[in-house]
Amino acid sequence: MSDAPVVPVTSAPVTTAPETAASPGIAAPEERRHFRARWESWTHAIFTLREDRFFLLLAVLIGVFSGLAVVCFRLAIEWTQIMLLGPSLNPTFPRVVLAPTLAGLVVAVLAIRVFPQVRSSGVNQIKSAVYISNGYVPFVTVIGKFITCALAIGSGQSLGPEDPSLQMGAGIASLIGRSLRLSQEKVRLIAPVGAAAGLAAAFNAPISAVLFVIEEVIGTWSAGVLGAIVLAAVSSVVTMRAFLGPESLFRVPPFRVAGPSEMLAYVVLGIAGGGVSLVLLKWIAWARPKVQALPNWTKYLLPSLAGLLIGLVGLRFPQVMGAGYAIVDQAMHGQFVWQLLLLLAALKLLATGFSFLSGTPGGMFAPALFIGAMLGGAVGALEHHFVPSLTATVGTFALVGIGTLFAGFLRTPITSVFLVIELAGNYTAILPVIISTMIAYGISRAYQKDPLFDVLARQDGIVLPSIEERREMTSFVVEDAMRTDLVLVSEPGDHIVEVARQAEANPEAALLLRMRPGEWWLLDREDVLRLAPDATRTTTPIHAKSKGPVPYLFRDQSLAEALQVMGDWPVLAVASRADLGKLEGVLTLADTLRAFRKAPTEEAE
Amino acid sequence: MSATSPSTVSEASPRVFSREVVLLLCVLALLVLLGLTALFSRLYHKKVHSMADAMFARGQVDEQAGQLDAALADYRNALAYNPGNPRFQFYLAKALEAAGRGDESRSYLLNLLSETPGSGEINLELARIAAHRNSIADAMRYYQGAIYGEWDSDPIAMRWQVRRELCEALLARGEVTQAAPEVLALAQNTPAGDLPRLKIVGQLLSRTQQWTRALDLDRKLLVADPTDEESLAGAAEAAFELGQYITAMEYFDRLPREGREQPDLANRYDMTERILAANPFLLGLPVEMRAQRVANALALAQTRAEACARQTGQSLEQITPQTDLQRLYEQGKNLQKDWTLRYLEGSPDRLDAAMAYVFSVESAAAAACGEPQGDDRALWLLGRSRSAVNR
Repeated sequence: MSDAPVVPVTSAPVTTAPETAASPGIAAPEERRHFRARWESWTHAIFTLREDRFFLLLAVLIGVFSGLAVVCFRLAIEWTQIMLLGPSLNPTFPRVVLAPTLAGLVVAVLAIRVFPQVRSSGVNQIKSAVYISNGYVPFVTVIGKFITCALAIGSGQSLGPEDPSLQMGAGIASLIGRSLRLSQEKVRLIAPVGAAAGLAAAFNAPISAVLFVIEEVIGTWSAGVLGAIVLAAVSSVVTMRAFLGPESLFRVPPFRVAGPSEMLAYVVLGIAGGGVSLVLLKWIAWARPKVQALPNWTKYLLPSLAGLLIGLVGLRFPQVMGAGYAIVDQAMHGQFVWQLLLLLAALKLLATGFSFLSGTPGGMFAPALFIGAMLGGAVGALEHHFVPSLTATVGTFALVGIGTLFAGFLRTPITSVFLVIELAGNYTAILPVIISTMIAYGISRAYQKDPLFDVLARQDGIVLPSIEERREMTSFVVEDAMRTDLVLVSEPGDHIVEVARQAEANPEAALLLRMRPGEWWLLDREDVLRLAPDATRTTTPIHAKSKGPVPYLFRDQSLAEALQVMGDWPVLAVASRADLGKLEGVLTLADTLRAFRKAPTEEAE
Repeated sequence: MSATSPSTVSEASPRVFSREVVLLLCVLALLVLLGLTALFSRLYHKKVHSMADAMFARGQVDEQAGQLDAALADYRNALAYNPGNPRFQFYLAKALEAAGRGDESRSYLLNLLSETPGSGEINLELARIAAHRNSIADAMRYYQGAIYGEWDSDPIAMRWQVRRELCEALLARGEVTQAAPEVLALAQNTPAGDLPRLKIVGQLLSRTQQWTRALDLDRKLLVADPTDEESLAGAAEAAFELGQYITAMEYFDRLPREGREQPDLANRYDMTERILAANPFLLGLPVEMRAQRVANALALAQTRAEACARQTGQSLEQITPQTDLQRLYEQGKNLQKDWTLRYLEGSPDRLDAAMAYVFSVESAAAAACGEPQGDDRALWLLGRSRSAVNR
């Protein structure tokens, strides 16, 4: 990264007006000059910022844009819902069936003919932008997502606005980045910044959005982009709250978490959540290729068919239609019996599958929250039935259920924990959430190798890096490859004959001469052996040829670092952090490569 | 080196200008979008708030018409469009409670309470739910919260009403001991001139068996309205329970006939009549009459002792009496010759001892065989009231 100014708008020095005893007649021009000088100084300050600082400033701009876009998007969904389904939570018969069916037809035509890029997952499109297309997210996708998703979700399709919001944020960021002709590196990174802003505004949860982008899109805690992501997320949430209020997605009732024995209840929830996540994951992974293999003309009808099926379910259970935040809110307040909660979870799972598999644009986040809340509530109510002494309310279980399904289905455990904490507005539930989400995540991982987004990408014919794999990839350290038996260390006072004798006995060993703590010289074996026969009493290893001080490492450093240091050195010294004079072993290129080669073998075993 | 690297940029001034323009356009676009969003947002909020208000109003109409299901749906719809509105939540909670869905109602109310812990209304609704669930401790807590909470209009009257409701709730669950101090507090918070409320307090004092206070209050009420039937009935009942049978009869006599024939009063009236008819200690009675009443009482007591002994399978002819009843019967047999009518008429100083014996027999029989009825009960109650006076 260059430290030089990016855009020197003007090189004119900022000069202050000379102080003169100004008469009233010349006061106005003096003021104007002063004002102009200040203006120039200000603009100069902005446009001559270093690119990384300018990037932070842009992150705020992107956050505000994304926040506004998400506000408009949410209003559009609400308006569409009122127009198509009517104002009541229980829509009347013709509307409940006709609205999603007909809207499905329109959405299909738009998605196939006008906005073909809106059909795939927003998360994967951003990953594609980062890893394939140098940060390019076409702005037409933003418009397409806005229109088609507002129509689909507003008409009752069982999808959520978060994934489209995330994509809209990324699209806006990409447009701004390209328009400002940022460096390629920054343009590539700007899409995740926008994505975090979009998601933060959609969830009204900036921390979760930041974590999700890091956990699922970028995969690393890169300091270069973290600040921008946080700034964008915070500014988008501030913007969103200015228009839609500070309220969380759901009103979380007051709750408390009792002693450790109650944690067992959340273990049960974790197991149930893991199981249901698997069902949803497996179903989508199994059915999507089959749906994709259908003739092209059917793709015009599938969203409509999904809408019809959801409408038919909605005749009896309108709760499953749309994003369903209000229903989650009701579940949290204990307004459903466990049988209904369980039924709603099952129906939502089906409805979400129909909507998503049909190719209707929209996200899976809100349905995952819905299913998790219903499942959590049902498990909690059932546990209360059998263990009436449980102090946690059904609402607490519903809240924890959200994180549980999120972790199991989307495989983002850290985001899941923090999402629940942000929704609840306090840390009371942190232990139950951690227990439950980790169990669900473990179950999901154990029985479904690839996470959802990887599966979708592969089904779409794209090979995107698996962030989960990357996250959990074994990091090899020096200790894994170093050897302790292939080195002979001599002191400057040793006799060369003795050194040569040991060298002959260990033909593979590297010969190191310890000059002082932390400084070992690599001796030339041939020269040591050559000098030995004619050596006098004063001939020491110092008289042998040497390559000079060998770079040294510590046993906890990564092998990647070792490779960078290695250069032409045949061996590297491994020193002790406690005692720099103590040599713990040596590292060779062959040993390093052997350690890397061994890894997949262990994995396979 | 990228196209935007510093050296390139500084060399190519048009690029600098273009970035400026882009930023300017961004800011302009931002302002336009901000304006549009503000406009749409305002329109949307206006629309949904008016919809929410309309639905809420419809819900109230439905609720007043007794259509609770429709009212619930309307309130929910209203809340869907204005989720943070505490008034909508409160009415939904009340409707849920009225529909017997206390758990759902409770969760809404708890949520509201967490936001406004000092709300009298919310505490009261929670107290009602707790009382309905027979959770006395919670009910007490929430009622106290309501009593000391904030009320929008006429807080003093509302607090009085809530305390009264608390007393009623406790009494309905037989918690007389807990209700007594609340009734006292209610009495202290009732203005002296507020006759309707004083009447209610009088009734509550009676129901919490605070007879002296009840009688005092009813007397005050009767000063204001000497013919008030409720006060007369209350005073009669209190006087009866305090053993002031002559006073009780005075109040009974002031009641119209229909008033005395109310089931709960009729028994007491009948008993008062019996007690007064059997009481040999009334002032002004001639000695013969006193002696006659004592003799009658002795005969009744003996019969009662025999009946009770039969009922419990005791033999009253034991050589060595074991029970109180047997000992009293034995004692009575020994004194029988002294307790003839003629002897009693001639020895008025023995009347008290004879009646003391009667009261002991009735008391022992009541302990062994349960509370007596009829004239025996009259004697038993008379004995209790005299022992209370002596104490």
